[in-house]
Amino acid sequence: MRGGGAGAGLSERLRGAGGLTVEERWAVALLDPEAPTPPDLTSWNGSDPGQRFAVYRNNVVVSLVESLAQTFPVTCELVGEEFFRAMGREFVRARPPRSTLLARYGEGFAEFVDGFPPAASVPYLADMARLEMHCLAALHAADADPAAPQVLEAALREPECLPALRLRLHPSLRCLRSEFAVFSLWDAHRGELEISQVNPLAAECGWILRSGLEVRLLPMCAGDCDFVEALARGNSFGEAAEAAAGDREFDLGRCLATLLRWGMVTSVNGIK
Amino acid sequence: MNRKVTPAALALAFSTAVTLAASPALAAGDKDKGDKEKCYGVALAGKNDCKAGPGTTCSGSSNRDYQGNAWKYVPKGTCKEIPSPTSPTGKGQLQPFQEKG
Repeated sequence: MRGGGAGAGLSERLRGAGGLTVEERWAVALLDPEAPTPPDLTSWNGSDPGQRFAVYRNNVVVSLVESLAQTFPVTCELVGEEFFRAMGREFVRARPPRSTLLARYGEGFAEFVDGFPPAASVPYLADMARLEMHCLAALHAADADPAAPQVLEAALREPECLPALRLRLHPSLRCLRSEFAVFSLWDAHRGELEISQVNPLAAECGWILRSGLEVRLLPMCAGDCDFVEALARGNSFGEAAEAAAGDREFDLGRCLATLLRWGMVTSVNGIK
Repeated sequence: MNRKVTPAALALAFSTAVTLAASPALAAGDKDKGDKEKCYGVALAGKNDCKAGPGTTCSGSSNRDYQGNAWKYVPKGTCKEIPSPTSPTGKGQLQPFQEKG
């Protein structure tokens, strides 16, 4: 790009039709293959700037689609590479990254899939994208050490404090409820479950968490999600237990044991 | 939907949970790397636990599937049974290796 010349002010020179700056026109043209090559482009060796820009534009979109394919591997397998990449290109153009951290790119992809008419024949596709986005968030969540066993034992010695106890949960822990068997489908696509055993139309709930460096998916019951969500809202142990008690399948002891054994309880407050 | 949960029920569940979580059968072994071994050539792109590329020792830095200089923690004793299409032996290895062409 050439700098501003003498005479007209720089900002006036940079603002073209539609009131866009050079940078804005460049950004628009990068994502829209129909848009003309931004004017004022030159190349150092005299080759055609239009052709060079087209290569660059293609690389931008292809690399972002590639990043989506790595973050959503099972979503990709469910529809096949070709369909996924076509859908990915649409998403990249509609929702380009807002952050320079490519590792977290994909926010909003599940909602996009929900509203993408060609994907409607795979009703669980958006929830699978939701599940895989939770995996990415769990992977990048902050570290936190589990509460020491002595703290839990101290709480047990003061049973009258238990209802008001505040349990803080690990930053990686999140819940997903789906009308479809996304947890089983995910396992099947990772080779841990026979696909013929999975009924995709069975509703499933579960937790997504990170233990050490490994993201884990645990199918749980709806009450387990109610319990974790209530704690995350800042409710006490007693309130969270009541929020989950509507689910007949819910077993408070087992739920808490699972949280403890994966190191998901990071602090316990309210012991006198 | 909410039902009253008695303090006694809370206490019982809490003590069951603490006991269950402490029992060896249920204890998660993931935090303790003692029962794991580093296995080269079995990690998918970006899923390695460490070491890939010259001079880098970064988790998630491998850029190809089954990269010979990227490793992943696997349960001890299983590394040499995990298929690795890039490995000259066809299986994961305990040392980095030159991928076959």
